[in-house]
Amino acid sequence: MRLLTHNMLSSNIKGVTNGFPLLIEVEKVVEKQVDFNEDFLRNMFPKIEWKALVEASRTMGYTELPENAESSMLDSDEFLRKFHHALIELHLEEGALVCPETGRKFPVNKGIPNMLLHEDEV
Amino acid sequence: MVGSCIGVCSTCKSGSALQWGPRLHTFISRGQIGRSALVQLMNTTDINRTKDIGIGKRRYINITAVSGGGRRMRPTVNAAAIETLQKGIAEFYDESSGIWENVWGDHMHHGFYEPDSSVSLTDHRSAQIRMIEEALSFASISDDPPRQIVDVGCGIGGSSRYMAGKYGARCQGITLSPVQAQRAQALAAAQGLDDKVSFQVADALNQPFQDGQFDLVWSMESGEHMPDKTKFVNELARVAAPGGMIIIVTWCHRDLSPSEESLRPEEKELLNKICNAFYLQAWCSTADYVKLLESLSLQDIKAADWSEYVAPFWPAVIKSALTWKGITSLLRSGWKTIKGALAMPLMIEGYKKGLIKFAIITCRKPES
Repeated sequence: MRLLTHNMLSSNIKGVTNGFPLLIEVEKVVEKQVDFNEDFLRNMFPKIEWKALVEASRTMGYTELPENAESSMLDSDEFLRKFHHALIELHLEEGALVCPETGRKFPVNKGIPNMLLHEDEV
Repeated sequence: MVGSCIGVCSTCKSGSALQWGPRLHTFISRGQIGRSALVQLMNTTDINRTKDIGIGKRRYINITAVSGGGRRMRPTVNAAAIETLQKGIAEFYDESSGIWENVWGDHMHHGFYEPDSSVSLTDHRSAQIRMIEEALSFASISDDPPRQIVDVGCGIGGSSRYMAGKYGARCQGITLSPVQAQRAQALAAAQGLDDKVSFQVADALNQPFQDGQFDLVWSMESGEHMPDKTKFVNELARVAAPGGMIIIVTWCHRDLSPSEESLRPEEKELLNKICNAFYLQAWCSTADYVKLLESLSLQDIKAADWSEYVAPFWPAVIKSALTWKGITSLLRSGWKTIKGALAMPLMIEGYKKGLIKFAIITCRKPES
């Protein structure tokens, strides 16, 4: 699971008012090199919850992202590469996503999160 | 349990009406069946016959009822029943996806054919791709290509990968089957689409996304699995972005005429058999879907009956199952897959009788 996906996932357990962002429990992180696509990054940037991305990337062991970001930074090649690396190249292979309110863990196995709710959570 | 009603179906020994699969039951209440419990029971089943036998202080009610099928949009069946169904769906696809892929490839949906055409087995893959293209075209997608797509009930990701390739869009796929999700991701990696598509094990009735994330919400032949159509459509609408499109391609039963309360008993019986084999819970009509979409104030609602364009599909699937490859694959598979295979002639029967319809329903979420 890459952080682009993590940035879209939330916990919809019954009664939870804010299930985003999910906390990350890391067991295994893998880095997969992907070709850089500037247009894609520019399009994605406004849709990304930046704080969630920074927090998640730090949990995954990557500390290069700035605390805050604005669209003017997209002109910097260096920024784009860091953004690209955090968003696309870091993968949580094994671990869990954790509901920020209930602490409930959604397992991640072989890079696939299992977001199914139990019957008492719907 | 149904309210205060305590009883056991004499046929299947199941104690809870709401955990019934779609089948006929004889349900005898051992205790007094409260009024609210009876109302709840009636809302979730079609009561064929109720016989009230009062013996002393206890009231025994002999109810012959069929759950599933029928016209009324069922309110939520209990969560335990849904969890059981979902487990069945997951296991069915865990077991049979590999065989399907082996014989048919990575699209797990009907092909779109010229009416009354004769097709060879090699035409089917292009027909399946044509189905995707026709659905996108029906929804007039080309005017405004989507950037973020969700594939609800994504199978092994055929549609996701196709649309990611076509639009350069990002696609999230959700499926109940861990085997399918793994396979979908592996195929994406093999096709160099690993950065564009990602798959999660998740529930279409409780999508793990925040509101308004997707320009295109895609449900290709997954709606028939949803036990609660209202919740299903609500979730599709919730995750659609303002101005986003929703495309539903699904199996429906025929629309009812104004004088009809429900399908005829023999029609319900046929659908029940199919439900059993394919892990479906409920059927509704195209008109029911349109009503649901209208109730959510979705716009530009369009619906069509594409049954004539998919007619060659099930005969072709049966033919493929009867090949050497098909038979050996089935024999190596599990009982769930074989049961599904045996039910295929029922689909043909359903289409021929005009009972089963292959429907497309599309709409747009309002901008604001």
